[in-house]
Parts: sequence; structure tokens; C-alpha cells
Amino acid sequence: MSPLLEVRNLSVAYGAIEAVRDISFSVEEGQIVSLIGANGAGKTTTLRTISGLLRPTRGEVLFRGRPIHRQAAHEILASGIAHCPEGRRLFGRMTVEENLQLGAYVRNDTGIEADMQRVYELFPVLGERRQNKAGLFSGGEQQMLAIGRAMMSKPKLLMLDEPSMGLSPIMTQRIFDTIKELQADGTTILLVEQNALAALALSDRGYVIDLGSTTLEGPGLDLLADQRVRAAYLGEG
Amino acid sequence: MTTLLQQLVYGLILGGTVGLIALGYTMVYGIVQLINFAHGEIFMVGAFGALATFTWVIPEGVKGTWYITLPLMVIAGAVVSMVIALIIERLAYKPLRNAPRLAPLITALGVSVALKEAVRIWYPGATAPLPFPKEFLTGSIELGSILIPKTGLLIIVVAVVLTVLLQVYINTSRMGRAMRATAQDPDTARLMGINPDRTIVLTFAIGAVLAGVAGVLYGVHINNISIDIGFQNGIFAFTAAVLGGIGSIRGAVIGGFVIGLVKTIAGQYFPGGTQYDYVWIFVVLIAVLVFRPQGLFGETERVRA
Amino acid sequence: MSEKTFFTNPAVSRVLGVAGAVLAVIAAMLPWSTFLLNKGAYPDKATLQFFDAPFELTGFRWELLIIGVVALVCAVAKVPAQRRVLRGLGAGIFAIGLINFGFIASAGGGLGAVTALDGTFAFGSVAALVAGVLLVLATIGQPLEEIPRWSTKLPTPVAYLGLVVSFAALLYVVSLTLTAGGQGGAASPYSGPMFLSFLGFAGGMFAGAAGLGVLKWISRLSEQHRVFSIVVLLLCALSLPFTDAGSEYWMTVAANIGVYAATAIGLNIVVGLAGLLDLGYVAFLGIGAFVAANLSGAAASQLGIHLPFYLVVIISAAIAGIFGAIVGSPTLRVRGDYLAIVTLAFGEIFQIAARNNIGGLTGGSNAMPNIPALEWFDGTAFNESITLFGAKLPSGVLYYFLIVLLIAAVMTVFANLKNSRMGRAWIAIREDEDAARAMGIKTGQAKILAFLCGAVLAGIAGAVFAHKTSTVSYESFLFMESVTLLAAVILGGMGSIPGAVLGASLLFVLPEKLREFSDYRLLIFGLALILIMRFRPQGLIPDAHRRAELAGEDAEGHTLQDKPGGDEPEQPKPQEVPAR
Repeated sequence: MSPLLEVRNLSVAYGAIEAVRDISFSVEEGQIVSLIGANGAGKTTTLRTISGLLRPTRGEVLFRGRPIHRQAAHEILASGIAHCPEGRRLFGRMTVEENLQLGAYVRNDTGIEADMQRVYELFPVLGERRQNKAGLFSGGEQQMLAIGRAMMSKPKLLMLDEPSMGLSPIMTQRIFDTIKELQADGTTILLVEQNALAALALSDRGYVIDLGSTTLEGPGLDLLADQRVRAAYLGEG
Repeated sequence: MTTLLQQLVYGLILGGTVGLIALGYTMVYGIVQLINFAHGEIFMVGAFGALATFTWVIPEGVKGTWYITLPLMVIAGAVVSMVIALIIERLAYKPLRNAPRLAPLITALGVSVALKEAVRIWYPGATAPLPFPKEFLTGSIELGSILIPKTGLLIIVVAVVLTVLLQVYINTSRMGRAMRATAQDPDTARLMGINPDRTIVLTFAIGAVLAGVAGVLYGVHINNISIDIGFQNGIFAFTAAVLGGIGSIRGAVIGGFVIGLVKTIAGQYFPGGTQYDYVWIFVVLIAVLVFRPQGLFGETERVRA
Repeated sequence: MSEKTFFTNPAVSRVLGVAGAVLAVIAAMLPWSTFLLNKGAYPDKATLQFFDAPFELTGFRWELLIIGVVALVCAVAKVPAQRRVLRGLGAGIFAIGLINFGFIASAGGGLGAVTALDGTFAFGSVAALVAGVLLVLATIGQPLEEIPRWSTKLPTPVAYLGLVVSFAALLYVVSLTLTAGGQGGAASPYSGPMFLSFLGFAGGMFAGAAGLGVLKWISRLSEQHRVFSIVVLLLCALSLPFTDAGSEYWMTVAANIGVYAATAIGLNIVVGLAGLLDLGYVAFLGIGAFVAANLSGAAASQLGIHLPFYLVVIISAAIAGIFGAIVGSPTLRVRGDYLAIVTLAFGEIFQIAARNNIGGLTGGSNAMPNIPALEWFDGTAFNESITLFGAKLPSGVLYYFLIVLLIAAVMTVFANLKNSRMGRAWIAIREDEDAARAMGIKTGQAKILAFLCGAVLAGIAGAVFAHKTSTVSYESFLFMESVTLLAAVILGGMGSIPGAVLGASLLFVLPEKLREFSDYRLLIFGLALILIMRFRPQGLIPDAHRRAELAGEDAEGHTLQDKPGGDEPEQPKPQEVPAR
């Protein structure tokens, strides 16, 4: 069976500068896969390319076996990939509820209200303040809302870009617990993290990206045990 | 006192027209950060579209029946304005979506010149001001010693009603949310599955319809139109949009009323009279930009990056 | 995809190229119109009934022959950057064909006039069109070559000779351009298409030369021998009156163009260097002109003083400069598009004030007439004709000389400013104002100074303008004039000096040459603005600095791959009103 998402020899350039060079990886259905690497390694660029915000210069992206790298961002979302972007990017001047409604923008089924209730159950703080402007929330609460918003499109694949950025350790733990729950509910997750330890511990599979290329790959726990990873990203050795 | 009140009435009538045009400026700027210089000409084109409909389409028999003729003309003006605006958006602005900021602004100037010239060259007789039909809706309502022309009252009522409807639409509908989302953060809006092109087209269309309606009502009120009405009212309207705070719906209309009042009051009471009333609008504009650049109702919060 | 492989075949390209060039040559010798058009015979014996000598070519048919032969040589011989050259030439040939095809067909001829009618044939324009298409098709199979780089390490005398020849050729082309299709006015009903055909020819040849790398070579060479080039260029400009274009009409037109070119260079400081969009710039030209009118003893002036010209220029410049600083002061708080609106507002305020004869200084709708002409030291008025080096020069030539010197001076000022500390500060502000401020640049001061410098140059130009036209009216300083000036700067290339002159020349020569289209002048102008922004936003002669950022091009000039809404690094940030 072909993987849910397959990235083959992907290269992306900003003008003359190549930010991603020949990256390949795949995400099997139901897994949590993480891309780890230092700042500027090209992780965010990779996600933005998969979600259609950027165009690759070479290579292809296959989702359920179909190439999607020529599609527009809104078509890609409709086909089942949600992207929770770096820095959360909430609509700060809109309410929690409006943000969630925007998350469900492509849907016109009757389950929207129920799904919104589910987000409120998952993150009660959002439910209590659903009429407040999103810009007024704390970083952790905003991250919850961002994940909730991404969930509202009922994606097959959820891509999370640095969900733990700027959060306290407790809040980080909560976010990672949530990710685990989402997986249990059947959502496949592609995670980009600088917090390699937490990300790999959670992941079924991990890829190390360095200077725009994939350098190492393997099951999350194996990578966590790998000396090179420990040296480079966990400050050991 | 009577003079003052009478001038206030005229100010509000001008303000209604300006406010309706200003809505288009404020919405388009809010979503694509473009000062759509051609928007004033869209207003002008709407007036000419309605005049053409009156002259060549509406049968002689019903021309005097205002409740048939006027709605037809308003619809015709709105449709003409909308079609022209969408053609412009598609051919001139859309290809420049990612161009540097100056490029679309200059394109807008070019569109403005071209539209005005096209009407002058191809609309029969448009080289001079053309009389606009006034067979219907004449007379005034007397309120004590002041007169409120019925056409003027119509402009004010339409401006307020359309603004309220627009505000409700933007705040509560699905497309309204999409428009606000695209204005705040276009990239993230795309990640929500919003097609930015469709949203932008809708924004242009709404703005153009409002401008077209304003053009028709302006013609009915003033009883003549020329190709020059676009530029001047366009500048007034842009000033109103800035004054109200770019992006703010109610700000645009309130700004329009303020501009209308400033012009009539200045024309009556300020040194230089009507010769310099136009100058005072610019003085207001400059003062607002310098001292309160976000306008009266503008959002000061930055979009989170 | 089979088409693609068909054109990629070198042999096919070769055949297409040669065929196109030969067809262009043949087209030159064919008749172009089957019958006599209403407005008279089509020029250069191109109408069938006067078509008695296929080899006796003049005018546009002669131009077509030349460009065709050049194309043939380039298609057969091994020329460097062959595809680039052929594509340029082909576009020129296509343009000549299209212009005459369109004109003959639309000026009463219909399609019969340009093809076959009643058993007669005139396929000249069609053949030229096809020839142009074939030449372009010959070049699409493979990517365009790099533009060759010719060595500029030449012995000085050779370099000087090269420059003199180049600039003399430029002068010749300018003179030809001005006189193409007749000496201005409505000399021939066909002067418009003849002129456009010449532009097609000249454009094709220039594109070919650019493809060969000749233009770049000249520009590098002149860069190396800066002073010498400037002197030669100045001499060339001064000798224009001695050519065919040295008629009174063209001297007047050229002087007008010169005033606008000088003003456009001033505007280029504000827009091109500092990146501040000014939509009311023509007001400064107006302020300079009205000040000069009042100080030079114009009959309508209530001041009744007549100062010497140099004092008038200084005072005009100073007053315009003061207003420049005033208009520039909101830049301390207002940015971007909003600033453009503020400048527009100032421009409108000036125009309203002038229209209403503010303080009795502008004459209102009566204008300020009878401004005395300037006088040379021996008492010769500037609007008289003079005899120089045995040649009788038309009246107005002295103003022409004055304005050429003015442009040279303004260019020098601009170049010096651009390379100065202040110029670098302006460019830094244009690129990123916040970063510039963080680097310690006093952005407020710098921006006001940009407005001031631009206004001073416009004020000087205005003083000359007042004397040259002898009547100053507010109608010369309307919003459209500001837009035209801005368009001149943008058409030429922002931040580029030769660009501003070229832009102003084109925008003011074209209406003169295309009088039969005068009703469509503004329409064409508006459409041209749209098309330039769409297809060549960096202008005709882009400033090297600016090329990359404006076109979204990388250093080599390849455009980025398409990214609908993509976020290349130089993507403009969402505009926000500075709330602080």
C-alpha cells in the first residue's frame, strides 16, 4: 500500500537561494512522523510547499498516490491536508468561534457544530471564552486554538509546525498529549519540531533535515538513541 | 441658522454619495492593499451605464414612472460598474498580485485614465456634460424652513441602509469571514481553504456595485453627469475612507458624511468660499494622516506575523 | 509536445530563420496596398498602381529591406547569441508588418487592401508579418543564449573612437526618429504609421544590437571613460539643431521635452532613489514658473519687478525648495500609499490656488502672459534665430541649448547625489525604512531632503519653462501632468538617469508624432501604463541596483518560477498605517 503522503526529491528555492534540496520522506497512514533539524534547515519551507503556499523547483509531492504539488493551497486543504503554521497565525481580530468556523470553511456538512463542541471539550478554556478575540489569548491557548482550527477541516493529514515554540514545559506537554490523542482518533500527523527529544519520543518515524537535505531517518526511538542525533540536537557528546 | 441647517442637509447628501464610493476603496485596500484609483471612474461608468439604459433601453411609455425606471437604472448602473470592475481586476490587477507595491498603484492610475478616455471617446456626446433624466422624483420635503430634496433623501437613506447590510454581511456570512480573514493574513486564509482570488473578486464586485448605485443616484440628484465626476468624487471618497480608517465599513460612510459636511460648511463660511472648499477637504485629509493615521475607526493592532 | 521537439531541431531553426529573413527582404519589394486609399497613395510607392520599381526602395520599405538583410546575414553566418539577435530583429519586422497591415486595413482599405482584391495582389504586410513570426519561431526551440561580453580593455584612442561613433550614431537615430514620417504637424496623412514603422525598425535593430551585447559594451565603455562620454554626449545633444531635425518646430518641441526631462530627473530623486511616491510633483514646476513670471516683469504681475535671470532662477529654486520641504514634512509620520495621497492633496491645493489667482500671483484663468524672453549678452533674444558656424539655426535654438545645459547640470547633480552618503541613505530607506533607521540613518531628515532636492530641480526647470513658453497658466500643472511625469520616470526605469530622459522624450514626442491619433492619446497613454507595469515594470533602461527587486528577478535576469501568492523574500509586506 502506498503511503498517505510521499515527498520525492523535493527542492524549493527563494529566488536564487535553495532552501530545500532534494528532500524525500514518506508518512504512512495513522503514524506520527517528525522532521527535526536546526533553524533554517528547511523544515518550514517543506511544510509550506506541501500545503501549496510555495511551488517546488523540482521533485514531487504525492498525497494518497496523487501528485498535489501543482495544486493551489485551498484545493490541497480540501483534499485533506491541514497545516497548522509556525507562529500559529490566528486571526487575531476575530473571535475563537470565528477562527474555528474559518477552519471549517471548506466543509458544508452538518457536523461542524458538533466538531466545534469537540474542540471546546478538548480545550475547555476555548469554550469558556469563545466570543473573545483570539489575539487576546496566551501563547499556549493560541496554540490550542490553532490546532483546534486545523482540526475543524477534518483532515486526513495534520501538519504541525513548531507547536511547542515559545511554550512553557507544562504547556508543551499538554500539546504533545493532545497530538497523541489526535493520532488515537485516526489522524495522521506530520510534525516539525526543534524540540527533538519530545518529538522523537512521540513519533513512529523521524527524519533529520540538515541544510536542506534529509541526512538520517528511522523509527523515532531509534533516532533518539542515535549518537549523531544526540550529539547534534540533544546537546550530548 | 436656517442657512447652516440647509448646508448641513446638502453636506449629508454629498456625504452619502461619497460614503458609498468610499466603501469600495476601504474594502479593496483592506484586502489587497491597493489604492484603487480607478474606483472613482467605476462610479462614473455606473452613472453612464444607467443613462444609456434610460436613453436606449427603457421604453418611452414608462420613462416617467419613477418606481419602474429608477430601479431599472440602479440595477443597470450597478451591473455595468461591476462588469467593468471585474474585467479590470482580471486583466490589470490580478497579474500584479505579487508585484512590488508601486506597480499596481501605477496600473490603477493607467486604468483610471483609460476608463475616462474610453467613455469620452465612445459614449455619444460625452465630451460635454450630459443631462441626466429628472422626470421622476422631483420636489423637496419641507422641514420648517429647510428643504430636503427627495433625491437627496434617497441618497442618504440608501447609503445608510446599504452600509448596515454590508456590515451585517461581512460580520456574519461565510464569505464575509473569508474576506476578513484574507484581509488579515492572506497566507493563513489560504491554509483555511479560502480561495484568495474568489474573495478578492467578490470584494471588487461589492465595491463596484455600491459605486454604481452611487453613480446613478448622483446623476438623478444633480441631473447631469460628465466624465469628470469620477476623479473628483473618487478623491473625496478616498479621503473619506482614510478618515474613517481604512478597512472599516462604518468608518468609510461616517467619513463620507464628514467630508460632505466639511465641504459645504467650508464653502459657506470659510475664507475663499466655494472656490476653496475643495482645499479644506485636503487639509482635513492631511491633518488626519499626520495626526491620526489609523483614522477614526481604524484598527491599530498589527496582524500577528 | 511534438511541436516542441520540432522547433528544438537545430536544422528546423536554421531553415525557419533563413526563410523568415528572405521573406522579409521579399516583403520589402512587394506592393503593400491593392488600391488607392481614400487619404491618398500609401507612401513609398507601396500602392499597387504606383508600384513600378520594386528595387527603388524608400521609407519603411527601405527600412524593412535593411533589417531583412541584417537578419539574413545573422541567420546564415555564425553570429554570437544568434537566437537573441534574430528574435529582436524578427520582432521589429513583425512590428513593421503589423503597423502597416493594421493601418492600411483600418484606414478604409479593409482586408482586401492588404491581400488580394479584384485579381490584384499586395501581400507586402502579410509577408512581413509571416517573416517576423518565422524569425521568432526559429528562436523558441532552445533557451536564449547569454548576452556576449565584449572586452572593453582597449587602447584609449580606440575606445574614444568607439564612443564617438556610437554617440554620433545615436544622434543620427534621434534625428531620424524626429523627422520620420515628415516634419511634425499633419504633413502627410500617413505620418503616424510611417513614424511607428520607423520605431519598429529602430526597436528591432536596437534589440538585435542588445542581443549581440553591443549596447552593454557601449554602456561599460562609457562607464570607463565617464568624463569623455559625457562631453561627447553633450556635444551630440548640442549639435542636434545642425541635423535634419533642426527646424523651429522641433527645437520648440525638444525644448519642451527638455523641461519635462529635467523635471522628471528631479522626480526621480524622490521616487526612484528614496522610493517616495509623489503624485503632485508638477506643483513644484508650477511654483518655479509662477515665481519666475512674477519676478521677470511679466505684464500681468503686480510686483512689477524685473530681476536678472540668474537671480530669478535662484529665487524660484529656493521657493520651490521651501514648498518641497513643507510637502515632505508629513513623511515624518506618513508612509507608502498614504504619502502618495498627501502629495496628491498638495498638488491639488496648488492647482486650486493657482486657478483662483491666489494673491494675484498666478493670473487665474487669464494666466500670466507676456513673460519677456531671455536675452543673450549681446541683446539677442532667445526666441530669435541665430547663425552659428555658418549654419542658420531656427528660432528657439538658444532655448534648446539652454535646456540641454540644464539637463546636463541636473544629471550631474543627480549622479552626484546618487553616489553620495545621502544617496545611499535614500536607497536604504527605499529598500527598508525600519532597517535604515536601525542603521542610524536619520530617515526623517533624509526624506524631507529628498523632497527638497526634487523640488529645487523642478523649480529651476519651472523658471526656464516660464521664459521659454512666455505664458504660464495653471492648466500646465494639472494632475495629469504629474501622472505623465511619473510615467516618464517609470517608463524609463526608476532611479536611472538616462531612463528619465528617454521616458520624458517618448511621452512627449509620441503625442507630437501621432497627431492623427490625438483623440486617442490619453487612452493609449493609460493602456500603455497598464501594459508597462504588466510586462516591463523595471522600465526601459533599468537602474542596475533596482533591476532585481522591481522585476522579481534574480541577478541573472531570469524571472522566478510562478508562485501563486508565493512568498519570495522581497514580497511586499502588508501595509499598515504606522500607529506610533
